[in-house]
Amino acid sequence: MPKVLIVDDEPLIRTLLEQSLEEFAEHGVAILTAENGLEAVEIIERERPELVFLDVMMPKMNGFEVCDMVKKQLQMKDICIIMLTAKGQEQDRIKAEDSGIDFYITKPFSIREVIEKVTEILKIKL
Amino acid sequence: MIMSKLFKKTLLIIIVLFAVVAVTTLLSSGWNLYNGLVAEYTSKGTAIARSIASSSVETLLNRDAATIQSMIDQFTEIAGVSYVFVVDAQGEIVSHTFVPNVPNEIAEIKLSKNAVPTDIEIGNGKYIDISAPIVEGAVGFVHVGMDKGLIMSQLESSMMRQFYLLSVIFIISIAAAYFFVNRVSQPLNELAEYSRRVAQHDFSHSIEIKSKDEVGLLAGTMQSMASDLSEVFDRYERALKDAVVELQSTLAYLTAVIDHMADGLLVSDIDGIITHVNPAMSSMFNMRENDLIGKYCGDLFGEGLAAIVQKSRYNPEEVYTVEIPLVGGRTGKAVAAGVLQDYFPLEGPEKGIGAVVLVRDITAEKEVDRMKTDFISTVSHELRTPLTSVKGFTEIIKKKLEEDIFAQVKSADGRPARAIKRVRDNINIILSESERLTSLIDDLLDVAKLEAGKIQWRTELVSVADVIERAHKATSALFEKKGLAFIKDVEPDLPPVVGDRDKLIQVVINLLSNSVKFTENGSVTCMARSDSNEIQVRVADTGSGIADTDRQAVFEKFKQVGDTLTDKPKGTGLGLPICRQIIAHHGGRIWVESELGRGSTFIFTLPKAEAPAAREEAYIINKETITHA
Repeated sequence: MPKVLIVDDEPLIRTLLEQSLEEFAEHGVAILTAENGLEAVEIIERERPELVFLDVMMPKMNGFEVCDMVKKQLQMKDICIIMLTAKGQEQDRIKAEDSGIDFYITKPFSIREVIEKVTEILKIKL
Repeated sequence: MIMSKLFKKTLLIIIVLFAVVAVTTLLSSGWNLYNGLVAEYTSKGTAIARSIASSSVETLLNRDAATIQSMIDQFTEIAGVSYVFVVDAQGEIVSHTFVPNVPNEIAEIKLSKNAVPTDIEIGNGKYIDISAPIVEGAVGFVHVGMDKGLIMSQLESSMMRQFYLLSVIFIISIAAAYFFVNRVSQPLNELAEYSRRVAQHDFSHSIEIKSKDEVGLLAGTMQSMASDLSEVFDRYERALKDAVVELQSTLAYLTAVIDHMADGLLVSDIDGIITHVNPAMSSMFNMRENDLIGKYCGDLFGEGLAAIVQKSRYNPEEVYTVEIPLVGGRTGKAVAAGVLQDYFPLEGPEKGIGAVVLVRDITAEKEVDRMKTDFISTVSHELRTPLTSVKGFTEIIKKKLEEDIFAQVKSADGRPARAIKRVRDNINIILSESERLTSLIDDLLDVAKLEAGKIQWRTELVSVADVIERAHKATSALFEKKGLAFIKDVEPDLPPVVGDRDKLIQVVINLLSNSVKFTENGSVTCMARSDSNEIQVRVADTGSGIADTDRQAVFEKFKQVGDTLTDKPKGTGLGLPICRQIIAHHGGRIWVESELGRGSTFIFTLPKAEAPAAREEAYIINKETITHA
């Protein structure tokens, strides 16, 4: 069963994403959550999810560091990482591309956009 | 007392003149005396000889030598007569007064029948021999010898007397000359000393010459001239002193102004060699003034500063700015202006003789800017999280309602139907308002970044036709929604511009959506024309138009024309200020032409890409700004 990890320090954003992906959960996708970077890395190492929603600004370890750790140090290149970033932060985008981010979604995002992206990546027809 | 040169010269002339006169007088009087004495002796001798001749005829005839001897012996007693002798017709000496013998020299002249006196020398003595014939020479001749030595001794004593007299006269006249010359030269000496002092601008002395002659007149004139001169000098000295004091105080004032300027000041010559810096400048770079003067500014402050110094040399009328790093990680803003040479009408770049650079420490401003940008970034980020929740949960609510609840309500009339419609409308309002809030935050972030210079601008060749096309595509939904016509009028083969394609598209989108927003019916025309050196883009609508008073305000932040209390605001009020910033960055202008009720036309210009040098320069300076930002 595919696993999706949601990493954000804001509980409401985690809840929002969980609710958005509710239908995927009904189709057997496991939804995991982490509230900071360190926890995220632990879960990724342990659970090896197919898809990670990763916030940028987080305590302990930020999104770029998590991405860098996963893609370069842990060599888990097949994990798809979607960065949740603010619009217009070009420098952040360059950093995101450097650290091996696959996609980015700007906050505030639309639920439709999230569902479309997950459908595309997990290749699950709802 | 020192003899004056004048006196010495005069004395020498007097001595020489006197000597010449004395010698001449002495010689001529001596010569005259000599001639006189010779004549006197000759005539005396002649008289004696004749007297003897006339009285001795008989005696001779009788050959009474003893009588003749006694007679001639008497004559030797007469002064000057040295000898007497008588010769007979045969030339034999009958009688003579020579002691003891007749000298040999007499033998030579004893036969002379000449009556002319003859000079002879006997031994060491010189004599004048005078002969007189006795009876025409038939009986004999009488010879009388007059002593010439007596003449010489008489001449000598006379000459000596004259010499003594002349000597006395000479001494007296030298003394007199000394006295006179001294009397004349003493005031002249004083005058000379006085004039020497005057020449050295020493007016403290005066001269006491009261005589009425030329010297006195000269002294008086000189003294009055000196006092005039002294006055003039005093006046000029005072004026000079005043001028120097004034100059010093002006200089001190200027130096104080420059030294106490908060901004750093640097003056360089045309080669970029530093000629002057103020203390603020030195401390900004933590260098001593002496270490800066005479150095090439590029070596000390980097090529950025050297470049603007060079530019202001070639374009002295322009002002160039660049950001440069200061010590301690601080940032300075350097403003360079050319120094114009006004005095000489030189041609070309040589007109500028250097550059003045002002450096202001803008670290604090940069920090404030950075804080502002950070603040806006943080705020916008912090706003995004709740906004994401609002938007996201609303979308979920909407989805759940539509799919799970509204679908279950079969009776599509009465209260439930109205309630469903109300809830649906309200949810849509929440969603569109959160969209509006999102774009407000986005625009706010854009403005903050533009103002902080934190935008990374692309520099590429951009086709204006392409920009308009893309902007039209992005806004086509808006046109369809309001049923407005879009008219495109783009001149074929427009030259490209240099800039950031996405940002230019953003400008046109903004203008088009604005036009749509304020136009209820009619059309929006987008026109592009090539001008002499720029491209002009016009977006004209048939909407409500803008009043005169509001025309400039539309480009100000958070301004929307009209009454914000009664008119529902449509947008963030940041679109046009962003457009203005973007166009300004590209070196263009943006403005609006409008009349209330008759539509508005927004026009912007962009320079053509044909002047690459100018563009490149602007780009380099901007790059510099970004690098140091």
